[in-house]
Amino acid sequence: MNSTLIAALFAIGVGVGLQAGRLPPVDDARQIVAEAQRRTDARSQRYEGLLQVFDAKGKVTDKRWTFERLGSHGDSRAVLRFTAPAEVKGVALLVVNHRDRASDQWMWTPAIERDRRIALQDRSTRFFGTDFSFEDLEERDVDQFEYTLVGDDAVEGTPCWKIASTPKTSKSSQYTRSIVWIRKDIYALVRIENYVRDQAMRRLTYADLADIQGIWSARRMEMTDLRRGSRTLLTLDKLQYNVALKDEDFTLQAIRRQ
Amino acid sequence: MRTSRSRRSGASNSSLLLAGWILAASAQPAAAQALSQRGFVDARGAWFPQQAPNDPTRGVADLVAREEVFARPSGWLRLAAGIELRVNSHDQVEDEWRLDVDDRGRRRPRLALRRLSATFTHLGMSLDVGKQFIRWGKTDIVAPTDRFAPRDFLNVLDNDFLAVTGARGVVAVGGETLEAVWVPRFTPSRVPLLDQRWGAASPVPTLLAVVDGGAELPSGPQTGIRWSHVGRVDTSLSFYDGFNHLPNIAARAIVTPPQVQIVRVYPSLRSYGADAAVPTRWVTIKGEAAYFTTSSPDTDEYVLYVVQLERQTGEWVIVGGYAGEIVTARRAPQIFAPDRGVARSFVGRASYTIDPNRSIAFETAVRQTLDGAYAKGEFSQGRGQHWRATVAATFIRGRAGDFLGEYRRNSNLSVGVRYSF
Repeated sequence: MNSTLIAALFAIGVGVGLQAGRLPPVDDARQIVAEAQRRTDARSQRYEGLLQVFDAKGKVTDKRWTFERLGSHGDSRAVLRFTAPAEVKGVALLVVNHRDRASDQWMWTPAIERDRRIALQDRSTRFFGTDFSFEDLEERDVDQFEYTLVGDDAVEGTPCWKIASTPKTSKSSQYTRSIVWIRKDIYALVRIENYVRDQAMRRLTYADLADIQGIWSARRMEMTDLRRGSRTLLTLDKLQYNVALKDEDFTLQAIRRQ
Repeated sequence: MRTSRSRRSGASNSSLLLAGWILAASAQPAAAQALSQRGFVDARGAWFPQQAPNDPTRGVADLVAREEVFARPSGWLRLAAGIELRVNSHDQVEDEWRLDVDDRGRRRPRLALRRLSATFTHLGMSLDVGKQFIRWGKTDIVAPTDRFAPRDFLNVLDNDFLAVTGARGVVAVGGETLEAVWVPRFTPSRVPLLDQRWGAASPVPTLLAVVDGGAELPSGPQTGIRWSHVGRVDTSLSFYDGFNHLPNIAARAIVTPPQVQIVRVYPSLRSYGADAAVPTRWVTIKGEAAYFTTSSPDTDEYVLYVVQLERQTGEWVIVGGYAGEIVTARRAPQIFAPDRGVARSFVGRASYTIDPNRSIAFETAVRQTLDGAYAKGEFSQGRGQHWRATVAATFIRGRAGDFLGEYRRNSNLSVGVRYSF
């Protein structure tokens, strides 16, 4: 996994109990996930994203946003602000992540000068016409999920662990379970498939991995809505970690300012 | 209540000047640092199938160009400026080429300063000074606590917000926010033109000419304070002391020449409000209420409240509820009050996103007595990064004595094209 994801797109929370350089036992799925998490630790991050939404007929719609995140995994705040197309400039989403529960989310719409809280039951809906749902934008704690090592697999010829993840009963999620693929050589997440019961709903793939400031980071992510047949490609530009960001820029008041 | 008779004022105020000075002083570093803009040109035409008794015109075309610039010269200072240019086929825009800064004109200004403000931030505190938009409340269609949000009601059912000029200080600690607002200069809502189809009917049946007698604008300040809590349940309490941006209508007989003047009087208003949003497993329940009192004679005292349910599911966003009113003292003979006019109604709004470029939306309000109702439907299609076309139909029905019903001849079809940049 890389922390560049729009706030760590999947249920991989804080790393716990592992020391740098020590590899986990390969049959411990939770520790594999935690190690992947630990390797992406950063105090903050920032990037400019290009979103290309491909509908089922292949028609492409472009959107751009800037993304900033402050805080550690599972206890962070993120602000995502659209910069294009022109008609949605300034629309912003504030995500406040919690270790023990689902995130709080608010969307600011400058055209009506109003913010709206995204209720928990609304998180399964698509985010602004993309194939990401609001829930996909939140960061979640590792302890909110159970992990099972399914086995070994290869993604584009690279050996990976294949791990099943299910939310604990206390966790509210649209997904019944997920399957994640983590590269064995660099502990980087390369694919996630999200299921509702037995039906695969969304697949997220990571590509163009690069070592940025010591963190293996995907610079291209593609979310496919398997029911609709549409997909959204997110390309990250100017990705930086540990940039100087201020707490006060990650509040409901702050997203109202341009 | 202190009042000053005003038909138009180009005067700015100290807050506005302060913001302007800061913007000018900061222009150089701003250019080199964070600078963003947004704007659009919007052309829209509306066709009314029925002729109105006071307005034979059935087609109205409108062109709006808006540009807003935002700068962040330093970490603690943000600047915002916006300007708007309008052209209209039906005499809804002033003829003069002047920069209007206070939105007090009867007609829309041709060239207007939409916003001009400076925001100072430090830790969890912020201070916004200048011409700005201030929105309170949580509910849609009717928002009783939204007291610093006058609107342009030249079209009663398709209106836009006007900015107010003043200062707003905010202190946020954790999930608690305290907001204080001071607006030294009153901005009224722009009411429908008397000689046009959205204009109110004459309050007195008369054979005399009915003319616009202007407005009596209050000169005192408006103040407000709001405490908000964000948690599992979002709640707010608010207090407002100032004037109603919606007028009482006074009819005055003039002997020479013989005519009836319609004068807009903006009464004092004090309101105590509360709003809340409660997420449940299936829907979000939103409620908002305010109790309005006044020291002005001939002015009603009342409670406005809204309860609505909201749900976003799939590509749908659905909002439905009830807006109610309890009048505790009925004194005003004639008012123009769209907020109360849409009360005692069932209200609803729904939108469906077809794909990233296309959407449909629907909005309705039906009076509980069935004396008036409107329904609006809209289809919107975007193209590329800049263009969007919108087709909308509005149906209005009801009895002449009802706020909505009185516009029963104003059902219309509109087509708009917008280029955003």
